[in-house]
Amino acid sequence: MGSLVQVLTNGILLGSMYGIAAIGLSLIFGTMRIIFIAQGTMIVLFAYLVYWSFQKAGIDPYLSLLTVVPLAFVLGLGLFYLLFRKAAALEDRNVSLLLAVGLMYLIDNLILKAWSATPRGLNISYSSAMIVVWGLRVSWLRLALLGLALASAFVVYAFLKKTRVGTAVRAASEDMEATTIQGINSVWVSAISFAIGIALAGVAGVGMATVYSFDYQFGFVFAIKALVALALGGIGNVFGALAGGLLLGIIENLAAYYVGIAWIEIASYGVFMLVLIFLPQGLFGRRALVKKV
Amino acid sequence: MANQLLEVKELSVAYGDVQALWDVSLEVEEGSIVALVGANGAGKTTLLKSISGLLHPITGHILFEGEDLVHLNTKHRVDKGIVMVPEGRRLFQSLTVLENLRLGAYLPKARADYDDSLERVFALFPVLKDRMNGKAGLMSGGEQQMLAIGRAVMARPRLVMIDEASLGLSPILTRTIFDLIVALNVQGTTVLLVEQNIHMALKICSKAYVMKTGHMVLSGTGGELLANDDVRKAYVGERGSRL
Repeated sequence: MGSLVQVLTNGILLGSMYGIAAIGLSLIFGTMRIIFIAQGTMIVLFAYLVYWSFQKAGIDPYLSLLTVVPLAFVLGLGLFYLLFRKAAALEDRNVSLLLAVGLMYLIDNLILKAWSATPRGLNISYSSAMIVVWGLRVSWLRLALLGLALASAFVVYAFLKKTRVGTAVRAASEDMEATTIQGINSVWVSAISFAIGIALAGVAGVGMATVYSFDYQFGFVFAIKALVALALGGIGNVFGALAGGLLLGIIENLAAYYVGIAWIEIASYGVFMLVLIFLPQGLFGRRALVKKV
Repeated sequence: MANQLLEVKELSVAYGDVQALWDVSLEVEEGSIVALVGANGAGKTTLLKSISGLLHPITGHILFEGEDLVHLNTKHRVDKGIVMVPEGRRLFQSLTVLENLRLGAYLPKARADYDDSLERVFALFPVLKDRMNGKAGLMSGGEQQMLAIGRAVMARPRLVMIDEASLGLSPILTRTIFDLIVALNVQGTTVLLVEQNIHMALKICSKAYVMKTGHMVLSGTGGELLANDDVRKAYVGERGSRL
């Protein structure tokens, strides 16, 4: 029993990373209607920046949230206007999707050039600090990650529900032309939601730098994990995406504990396909990831 | 010559290689209701979308209070007071009624008058006040049409262009909506109306235009067109509605 609770706890903590990434994917999907496949690579890129500023300047990873997240936001705005603005206006989503694939491989290889293929991981003073609550052993860093995920979800939720631009983002994700008809600059609204998606990659990058060992190829795998989380949670609901991430973490940990480490990927992709077939709206979503014909 | 709020001059519009409007002209006098009628595919919606700036013409001019709008985008046209109520209402279904209205008053000028506008909308459509915090998509068709018009009113429009207000509504609700459009007009808003319910549209308008396959073929007062044999045979039918 005790070990099951430990497994669940580890799963939730591991899954909070997937959750942050899935919220970002969900936001970008909302206005661009594509799975932003480069999301994982963006996370890896920001993880390298966090790693680098720690190695070079000794900046604490959590302190670098203050620089990396705004930087990610601005980078997101730039990428949108430079790459996706024209493609996002097209009826055919494939152009945006292919651009995202191209961007992913481009950044992967820029990372390879800049930081080599050696896997990196941070070793900070509190890397292995644990707390023990009711017999549960919890790593401080992973607990902080869950805090980050919850905070991200609340901030994005409040932005979408309470602000004028956030309301416009929700409107645009439902009907872009009708949003334009209100006199709203829907290109700007799409850019904002894309940039917030990339800012979340910045948040996840801090998480990745602190608890993972990562290399230039890790992004794609991670993007697929975030996609699985999003399919589980469902589109159109911030907390649904977060919950999908936590659930994926739990599934992976259960598979690892009860069946064996080799089964982690088999379990998560198996569940992914089952959800797409039998529950295309996800557990909490308002809209299907794949449109029913 | 009367004070024309909107003048469309020899407008030609194409979707890619397919031309949809040929040298279409139209005038809307300030304070009037103008009806635009014609069969499906005649180009009525295309004309409204061009006036809103969603489509860009190949040639021709769109003058609003004498100023050419052709190079302005939708946002600037809304800011000048040209607001469209699109066909099918196009409400934000998962947003609340109040959120839909708030988006109608998105631009700074309209936002400054938000409280007054909201009061005006609730006075015109009291049911929206009762449903304020409910999801737009959960309302009936008539209520949704009221919200679509209310959302446009929130923008403080000079000219409201309403595309197929009666689509899918019962005869009684259609009458209610038309009464509300007249009430809006009496308050000073100029209205350009695209309608399938030609009989009713011709009754409340002061001037009407008939379009056919991308051309403007006829214009006159509502009464003149109602009395015109060709129009009656082609569009009005026995009891008015083509639905």
